[in-house]
Amino acid sequence: MNEAGANVKVPVVAARDLTKSYQLGEQAVHALRGVSFEIHRGEFVAIMGPSGSGKSTLMNMIGALDVPTSGELKIDGVDIATLDRDQLAGLRNHTIGFVFQQFNLLARTTALDNVKLPLTYAMPRPADPEAMARQRLEQVGLGSRMDHVPSQLSGGQQQRVAIARALVNNPSLILADEPTGALDSATSLEILNLFKALNAQGMTVIMVTHELDVASHAKRLLRVRDGQIVEDRPVHGLLEESAT
Amino acid sequence: MSLLEFLRTAMIALRRNVLRSVLTTLGIIIGVGSVIVMSAIGGGASRQIEQQIASLGTNQLTIFPGSMNVGGRQGGFGSAPPLTEKDLRAIRERVDGVVAVSGQMNNSATIVAGSANWVTQVQGASAEIQDVRDWPLSAGRFYDAIEASSRRKIAVIGATVARELFGGSDPVGTTIRVNNVPFEIIGVLKAKGQAGGRDQDDVIFVPLQTARSRLMGRVRVPDEVGQILVKVDEEHELAEVQADLERVLRERRRVAANAQDNFAVRNFADILATRSATQRTLSLLLASAAAISLIVGGIGIMNIMLVSVTERTREIGLRMAIGAKGGDILGQFLTEAVLLCLAGGFIGLTLGVGISVVVSSIFQWPVFISPGIILVAIFASAAVGVIFGYVPARRASQLNPIEALRYE
Ligand SMILES: Nc1ncnc2c1ncn2[C@@H]1O[C@H](COP(=O)(O)OP(=O)(O)OP(=O)(O)O)[C@@H](O)[C@H]1O
Ligand SMILES: [Mg+2]
Repeated sequence: MNEAGANVKVPVVAARDLTKSYQLGEQAVHALRGVSFEIHRGEFVAIMGPSGSGKSTLMNMIGALDVPTSGELKIDGVDIATLDRDQLAGLRNHTIGFVFQQFNLLARTTALDNVKLPLTYAMPRPADPEAMARQRLEQVGLGSRMDHVPSQLSGGQQQRVAIARALVNNPSLILADEPTGALDSATSLEILNLFKALNAQGMTVIMVTHELDVASHAKRLLRVRDGQIVEDRPVHGLLEESAT
Repeated sequence: MSLLEFLRTAMIALRRNVLRSVLTTLGIIIGVGSVIVMSAIGGGASRQIEQQIASLGTNQLTIFPGSMNVGGRQGGFGSAPPLTEKDLRAIRERVDGVVAVSGQMNNSATIVAGSANWVTQVQGASAEIQDVRDWPLSAGRFYDAIEASSRRKIAVIGATVARELFGGSDPVGTTIRVNNVPFEIIGVLKAKGQAGGRDQDDVIFVPLQTARSRLMGRVRVPDEVGQILVKVDEEHELAEVQADLERVLRERRRVAANAQDNFAVRNFADILATRSATQRTLSLLLASAAAISLIVGGIGIMNIMLVSVTERTREIGLRMAIGAKGGDILGQFLTEAVLLCLAGGFIGLTLGVGISVVVSSIFQWPVFISPGIILVAIFASAAVGVIFGYVPARRASQLNPIEALRYE
């Protein structure tokens, strides 16, 4: 699994004819209706689309929180349909870093302990989780706030802690579902610049957003509508085109 | 996750809500505490009784004239022929495993020494009584076999009588009046203490023959001995000796094959047996009371753990999203429940021991806390945690991470 991950030629995410439907009583809701794409190492992808189009559903599957109804999804070369519950948890732990709209930090728990949390579930246990967590907090610019609890941090700072937590176990990709949805525009920009910096260092980032100028910080844009990908294009020139 | 991390996480979670944690464990605290107190008091009482019985002698048989009914009480007294020196001799000569045999007749008497007087029990007894009762002297000597069958007016007095009549001075050689008959004190017995709520040292011994003629009033036959006390060799099985003795006595006293004994043999092993039966009933009661309170406590734990799982659904979802396996979540909540119960158990234990100590000092009751009950209390609390924590913990571990993350 790790050997496959180390191979640059294997896409980090490879989806083929992905569908997901929910059964609500008699009625079936088709959240995804046949989605195929590949995301490679070092990409920065924005996923856009109207509400209810299936963006979160897609992200949950890429994040190994959910399995597709049909089709094939490989994360780092591993078909997630072949994994059981615990193996999916393992994959989430060492391959994926999540960033949520609502930060989802543990309340009354210091930034440092929040960042360390994924390492307590890591197998094998890292030798020095404390040092790894400190390093990540410094990387997101919170070296001086390690002992603060979430209620003592601003929204942007909390999201940085969440990003440090996502990074702490050296994942293959960062998944962010509307990471700036709860932040004002100035703070959003800080977070987006942080993602850009991470991407510049080689990290693969996939981000869901509603806003075009948020998406414009990415390198590639996937537009989703009614559970299907309707556009797949580079971000370059996006703002200029939409302005016209 | 390692056990240490489970413990750390559980400690943090429990400390968040100290008051709630304590209230939750109240059932367990009360359950464990009351069990400790009850067993401490019960244990103290039964140990005291055991010591008393040991001081009476467990290898001793007492034979009464008359039959014995099922409950162990004597009945049908009047019709039965009295026990005599002949019975005593038959036992000594024909029953194996008998170390010493003594006759004994009791009466109460007023004793006067100078200006002091004291009402006590006079026991007319053979010289062998000292062997049978295993009773050393603190001063003087005991009368011998020849003196015992003489009519000499000599007495050996118990420690309580000595204290009441003579205070600190040495009574040996002085003369006392027993029911107005003068007796010379030749010895003082060592103190034996209480037994069965009676002071064993409140007694004086006089030769059996002297007692018959001077102190016992009407004697039915000239060689009547009242009761017979038998000391059995430690090597011999008490029950076997008793059976043998009953056979010899039936034969000597010509009891027909299908008739009831016209005498009764009592041994302390029997008393011990009935006592341990009552104790078994008591501990059964105690155990069921404990079980009920622990179950009630456990339900409280389960309830609060279910509430806690619901409250922390988002946290569980988050932990799962960043890689917690089902077992990690199960372990986390199970550890919390067990820790909660153990804390309750320890508080209950401390409280129980404290109350026992206070009770023992206020009421002067003997208390005894066995290490076994402490282990059982701790183990039972932990078990309650596992049993009643399992359902909530399992529910937490089976949550769907996406739904848990979305939970409001
Ligand atoms: N657990 C579920 N049960 C039933 N239907 C669901 C479930 N989750 C999502 N859906 C449906 O699937 C569709 C896609 O939902 P999804 O959350 O992926 O949309 P989204 O693009 O993320 O929308 P938003 O921009 O509002 O977050 C919606 O119609 C939604 O109602
Ligand atoms: Mg969404």
